[in-house]
Amino acid sequence: MKTMKHIRYGSWGALALAMLLTLVGPFYSPAAEAHGERAQQASLRMRTMHWFDTEIQPRKVAVNETVHVTGRFMPSQWWPEHIRSVEESAFMNIGVPGPAFLRIDSRVNGVPMIRSTRFHLGKTYEYDVLLKARAPGRYHIHPVISVEGAGPIIGPAFWVEVTGDQKDFKHTITTMTGNVINPETYAMSTILWWNALWFVIGIAWLAWWFRKLPVIMPRYIKVEELGDDANQLITIPDMIVSALFFGFVMLVIAGGYFWANYQYPITSVLQTGKVEVEPLPQPPQMVEVEVNKATYRIPGRSFQVEMTVTNRSPRPVQVGEFNAANIRFINNKLLNVKAQEKDDLVAATGLRVDNPPIQPGETRTITIYADDALWETYRLTSLINEPDGRFAALLMFFDDQGTRYMQEIGGPMIPSFG
Amino acid sequence: MSTVSGAYGKGGTPDTTTRPTKSAVRNVQEQMAAWKNVDYTLIPIFSILIGGVTVFLIALTVGDWDYWADWRDRRWWPLVTPFSLIIPAAIFNYFFWKRFRLPIGATAMILGYMFGVWVSRYMNFHIFANFPMNFVSPSTFIGMGLLLDCTLALSRSFFLTGLVGAFLFAIVLYPLNWVTMAPFHVPVEYNGFLVTVADLMGYQYIRTAMPEYVRIIERSTLRTFGEAVTPLTAFFAGFVTLLNYYLWVWIGSILTQNRWLTRLI
Ligand SMILES: [Cu+2]
Repeated sequence: MKTMKHIRYGSWGALALAMLLTLVGPFYSPAAEAHGERAQQASLRMRTMHWFDTEIQPRKVAVNETVHVTGRFMPSQWWPEHIRSVEESAFMNIGVPGPAFLRIDSRVNGVPMIRSTRFHLGKTYEYDVLLKARAPGRYHIHPVISVEGAGPIIGPAFWVEVTGDQKDFKHTITTMTGNVINPETYAMSTILWWNALWFVIGIAWLAWWFRKLPVIMPRYIKVEELGDDANQLITIPDMIVSALFFGFVMLVIAGGYFWANYQYPITSVLQTGKVEVEPLPQPPQMVEVEVNKATYRIPGRSFQVEMTVTNRSPRPVQVGEFNAANIRFINNKLLNVKAQEKDDLVAATGLRVDNPPIQPGETRTITIYADDALWETYRLTSLINEPDGRFAALLMFFDDQGTRYMQEIGGPMIPSFG
Repeated sequence: MSTVSGAYGKGGTPDTTTRPTKSAVRNVQEQMAAWKNVDYTLIPIFSILIGGVTVFLIALTVGDWDYWADWRDRRWWPLVTPFSLIIPAAIFNYFFWKRFRLPIGATAMILGYMFGVWVSRYMNFHIFANFPMNFVSPSTFIGMGLLLDCTLALSRSFFLTGLVGAFLFAIVLYPLNWVTMAPFHVPVEYNGFLVTVADLMGYQYIRTAMPEYVRIIERSTLRTFGEAVTPLTAFFAGFVTLLNYYLWVWIGSILTQNRWLTRLI
C-alpha cells in the first residue's frame, strides 16, 4: 500500500513537473542574459558576420522614447560549410529580453525589414533599427541577424537604461480601414466576452448532466448492471436538451462568424514572403592582403598573422584594427578607441603592429599580433578544438588622412604550444 | 466494489437491507452524501487534471500556432489543432460514455484545458514575458467539444459521432474563432507593404527567438485552389480528425478497460 502511494505521488510529481515545463517552456530568449554569444562555437562567431561601426543611441531613455541601433555588417566569405548560409534566408533582428522595446522600424540599406531577406557573402550592409521603449529596466541590446537553419548571429551590444512606467506607454496603429487602434488592448473586450460566453455554454452543458447529485457513482453502477441496455440512461429530456444544445452551438458559431464579418468587413490573410536588399556599392580595392600564416600561441594568448600587403592607394597605409568575433583589437599607436562601457569588447591596446606604414605602390610582408585576455574570456581559443579550425577577421587599414580601407582575411589557424 | 453495487439495487433505488455492515457509510443518506462528494471532488479534479495534460499536449503539438495571433493562418493552424485536440476529446468522450453514459468527456476536458491555458497565457506570456494579452490569448474550443458530446448523446453511436461530431469538431474551428481573429486580420499599410494587424504586432513586439521566417504561414504546394483555401483545409481537417477520432476511441477502449480501473481503485 505504501509503495503504491509512493508510485502515485511520484507520477503526480512527474506530471506537475511536465506541466510546469509547459508553462515556462516557450521562453528561451538567447539574449535574455548578456553575452549569450559566448556560448557559440568560436568558428561560428568568427566566420559568420563581421559587425562594425555599431552604435546605440541614446543609452538612457524614458518609456515612449526611441533608440536607434545602427551599424554595418559583412557576411564572411569564410562562412562555415556545415551551417545554412545567410544567402538563403535571414532576418534583421534585435536581441532584447521580450517586448521591452517595440521595433518601430528596421532597415538594411534603406529597405524595410519586416520580412525575411538574404545577404551576400563579402558584401557590406548598413542597418538602422528604431526601437521605442516600453518597459523600464536596463537592457543589453544586440543587433542580431537570424539565419534560417543556423540560428541567431549576435552582434556587439550596449546597455540601455529605460526609465519611467510601462503604464504610460502609448502606441497606435492606423489600419487601412482608417481606424487608429491601441495594440496593447485592441479587441481585448471581444476576446473576453466571446470566451466567457463559451465558458457559460460549456458549464451549462455539464450542469444539465449534474443537475441532480450524485451522478458519477450511481450511473457507474447502473451502466454495469444494464450492460448492453445502458443507453436507456439517456432519457427523452436528455435527448431534447442535447438537440437544443447542438442547434444552439451551431447557431452561436454561425452568428459569431457573421457578426465578425459585419464588424470587420475588410480583412486580409497573414502575410509572409521575402524582400530583396542590394548590398552597398563596393569601393575599389585599394589594399590587397594575402595571408601567409596565422598562428595562435596558447601560452601568450597571442594571435599572429603574417601577410603580404599591397598598397594601391595614393597614400601610406597602416593596420589600425583587427576585428574578430565582435572583439576589436586596436593598434593604439594609430587609433584611440576605448571601451565605452564594461561589456564593450574593445582591446584598446590589443593589436601590435611593428612595421612602418606601407607606402603607395609598395608590397610588403608584415606580421600583426592580436594579444589580449579577451581571447580567453570569449573562448575564441576553443578554435583549436573545432573540426574546421579556420579563422576569419576584418582588417582595417587607415591612411595618414584617416581614410579607412577594409579587407576580410581568413584561413587555417595553427596552434603553437610553446 | 460488490458491496457498493449491492447498496444501490437493481432498479436504481437504494436497498438498505444489503448495506455493508463494516463501513463508514451507515445508511442511504450517508451513502448518497458520500457519492455526492465523489461528484464534487472528481469532476473538478478531472477537468483540471485532464485540462492540464491537454495544455501540455497542445503546447507540444500545436505550440506557436496557438500562442500567437500572427500564427493562425488558413492552412496549418486549422489542421494541426483539431487533429491534436481530438485525441483527448476522443478518449474522454469514450470513457465517460462507456462507464457512466455521460456525454460530457470532450466538453469537460476542453473546459479544463481552456481554464489552464488562460492561466498559462496570462501568467507566462502576459505577466512574465510582457506581451499584450490580446496578442497571446488562446483560441476557444469549447463549442467543438459540445458538438462532439451532443452528437454522441443524440446518436448513441461512436461511429456516427465520428462521422458527424468529429467532422464538425474540425471544420468549425475557423468560424468559431473568427470572432477574435477577424480584428487581427484587418489590413495595415506599413512602409509600402500590405500586412495585417497581427503581422505588424508580431514585428513590433520583439520576439528575439522568433525571426519572421520561422512562422509557418500558408506553406504548401497546393496553392492552385486560390480563394477556396479555408473551406478546403477545413474539409481535409474534418476528414483526418474523423479518422483520428476512431483511432483514439479504439485506443481509449483499451485504456479504459475495467481491469485498469479496478486495479487503480
Ligand atoms: Cu548581451
